[in-house]
Amino acid sequence: MNDSVLVLSIASAVVAGTPILLAALGEIITERAGVMNLGVEGMMLVGAVAAFWCGTHTGSLPLALIVGGLAAAALSLVHAVLAITLRVNQTVSGLSLVIVGSGLSAFLGNQGDSPLLEAPNGVDVGPLFPEAFADIPIAGPIVFGHDVVVYLTLILVGLTGWVLYRTSAGLSLRAVGEDPAAADAAGLGVVRIRYLATVIGGFGAGLGGAYLVLAVLGTWQTGMTAGAGWIAVALVILAGWRPWLALIGAYAFGALRGLGFTLQIARVDIPSDFLAMIPFVAAYLVVVLVSASPARSRRVAAPAALGEPYNREHR
Amino acid sequence: MIGRVIVTPRAKPSPLVRAGVPLLSLLVALASGAVILVLTGADPIEVYRTMFDASLNGTAPIERTLTYATPLILTGLAAAIAFRMRVYNIGAEGQLFIGAIAASGLALKLPSTTPKFVMVAVMLLGGAVAGALWAGFAALPKAFFGTDEIVTTLMLNFVALAFMNYLIFGSYSFWRDPSRPVPQGNAIPDSAVLPTISGRLHVGFLIAVALAVSVWLLVRGTTFGFRLRTIGDSPRAARYAGIGVPVATIAVFAISGALAGVAGAIEVSGVTNRLDPKALAIELGYTGIVIATVARMHPLGVLPVAVLLAAVATSGSSMQAIGVQSEVVVLLQGLIFLSVTAGEFFVTNRLGLRPVPRGGPSEPVEALADAGDVPDAADSLRASVGGAL
Repeated sequence: MNDSVLVLSIASAVVAGTPILLAALGEIITERAGVMNLGVEGMMLVGAVAAFWCGTHTGSLPLALIVGGLAAAALSLVHAVLAITLRVNQTVSGLSLVIVGSGLSAFLGNQGDSPLLEAPNGVDVGPLFPEAFADIPIAGPIVFGHDVVVYLTLILVGLTGWVLYRTSAGLSLRAVGEDPAAADAAGLGVVRIRYLATVIGGFGAGLGGAYLVLAVLGTWQTGMTAGAGWIAVALVILAGWRPWLALIGAYAFGALRGLGFTLQIARVDIPSDFLAMIPFVAAYLVVVLVSASPARSRRVAAPAALGEPYNREHR
Repeated sequence: MIGRVIVTPRAKPSPLVRAGVPLLSLLVALASGAVILVLTGADPIEVYRTMFDASLNGTAPIERTLTYATPLILTGLAAAIAFRMRVYNIGAEGQLFIGAIAASGLALKLPSTTPKFVMVAVMLLGGAVAGALWAGFAALPKAFFGTDEIVTTLMLNFVALAFMNYLIFGSYSFWRDPSRPVPQGNAIPDSAVLPTISGRLHVGFLIAVALAVSVWLLVRGTTFGFRLRTIGDSPRAARYAGIGVPVATIAVFAISGALAGVAGAIEVSGVTNRLDPKALAIELGYTGIVIATVARMHPLGVLPVAVLLAAVATSGSSMQAIGVQSEVVVLLQGLIFLSVTAGEFFVTNRLGLRPVPRGGPSEPVEALADAGDVPDAADSLRASVGGAL
C-alpha cells in the first residue's frame, strides 16, 4: 500500500513544496512590512550555492542551511538599502537582485580547480524518524517519511502565523506595512523594522535554496531553481499574505511539480515540457480566477503600503 | 557623533548631476566587481581591458556589441512604454519567445522563393502580432478584473519557455531539423535572413533605432501618449478626465508585447537563423526592464543604456581566454543595475552633514527649516513619481 502511486506522490509533493514554502514564508514577512522583494529567485540561488559549498566542506546539514540562509540574507540587505534607505523602485531593485544572484551563483559555482558543478552532495539528508515508522500504512511515507527540514518548516509556518497575529512584534510589523506614517507616529522604528523584515525574508529564501539543492536535487546546477523563486513570489499573493494558505499552496505546487513523475509511472504519455508548464499555468489560472471572483472584495488585500517607500518628510 | 546626514530634495537636478551620477554609479559598480574579482584571484584590470577590447575596441567588436544591443533596445522599449503607464509588464521575456516562434514558423512555411523584403516584413509583423496576442493573456485580466500583471506575465514567461523547448527538444515539430539526431531548429531559408549593414551587424539594429524614435514620438506627441502619461501620473485623475483606463491598458500591453515580439523575430532573422531556445532564453526580457529603468523610461535614453549593457554582456566569451568564468559579466550587469538604481536617489536628493546641536536635538526647528527647502508640491510629486518609476 505504501508503494502506491498516490501515497508516493503526496509524499513527494511535501518535499518538492518545502523549498517554495520556506521562501514564501520569508517573503510574507518582508511584504507584510511593506517591502516587496522580487529578488527571491536570485536569493535562493545564492543561498543554494553557499549551502552546497558549505555542505561539501563540512558535511553538516545545520551548518549548510545556516550558511545558505546567511548568504541570501546578505544579498537581501542590498535590497534593503536600496528600497528602504534610498527609496528606489522596489520592482527594479528586486529584478536587479535576481540578475546579481544568478550571475554570482553561476560564477561561484563554476569557480576554482574543483568547481561545485562537478562536486557530489556532501550532506546526507535522511528521514528523521526510524525505519519502523515508514512501514505504517499510508501515514508512514506521508507523515513520518521526511527529513528534519520538512518538520522544521511546518513549525516555522505555525511560528510565523503566531508572531504575525498574536504578538506585539507581529502587530508592529503589520502596522509598518499598512500605514508606516501612523506606525512612525506611534513610535515604531519603521526603517529598523523594514530592514529586519527584509533580511528575515532573505534568510527564508536562502533556506529554501539550500534545501532545494541539498535535499531535493542533490547536485549544484547553474540556474537550478528554474523558477521556484518566482513561484514563491506568486504564492505569497495567492495565499493573501497568510502563512497557512502558503502552506497549502506550496504543497499543491509541489504536487503539480511531482505530477510528471506520477504520470510517467501511470504510463500517461505527456511531453515533459508540458509537465514543466503545469505549475505556472495553474498559478496563472488561480490568480486570474481569484481576481475575477465575485467575492474578491472580501479577500485579504495586499498590505496597504506594499512597495511604497516611506519618507518621513512626506508624512 | 559626527553629525546628522540631512537629505533634501533637489529642486531641479542640473544636467551635470543627471549625467554625472549615473557615470559615477557605473564606476562604483566596476569597483565592486573588481573587489569580487580580486577575492576570487583574478586581475580586475586585465578583465576590464579584455572586456573593452572585446566589445568596443575596433570595428568587429562594435558590430558585435550593436548586434547584441538590438533585442535589448526593443525589450527596453517594451518595458519603458508599459512602465510609463504603471503597467508592470515583466513578460517581455515570454513575448519575445512567442515572437521568435511565430517568425521562424512563418519563414519555414512560406515558399523560400518569396522576395526577401516580403519575407522579412511578414516575419517581423508576425512576431509583433504574436507577441501582442501573448501579452493579451495578461492584458485582458488586468483590464477587466484588475489581476496583478506582475504575477501573470511572470508565469506566462515560463509557459512560453517550456513551449519553445517543447518545439525543439521535446518533439519532432515543424520547427525542428529532422535530419539531425541532436535537437536543433530547422534553418530558415536565405530569403528570410535580414540583410547586413557591416560585417555581422544586421538591418535589425536600424529597425530598433527607428522604433525607439517612433515610441518617443508616440509618447510625446500624440493624444494616446498624453493619455498614457496621464494614467501613469495619476490613474484617478485620468478616470475623472474620462480616459478609458481598461482600453489604454490593453493598448499599451499590445504595443509592449509587439515590441518584444519583434525583438524575437529580429533575433531569428538576423542572428540565430533558426528557432534556437538556448540562444534566445538569455534573459533579454528581464534585462530590458532594468535598461528602461536606468534610462528613466525615456524611449531614446534606452538606446545608449542598451548599447552599454550589450558591451558588457557580449564580452563574456572573451573571458575564457584569460581564464575567468564568463558568468562574471552577468554579475557585472547586475552590479551596474543595482548601482545606477541606487544612484537615482542622489540625483533627486542632496546630502548634507549637519552637526548635532549641543543641548539636545531641536526637531521642530529642523522640520520647519526642511519644509522651507522643499521647492513646491509639483516638484515633490515629480520626485515621488520619478522614484516610483
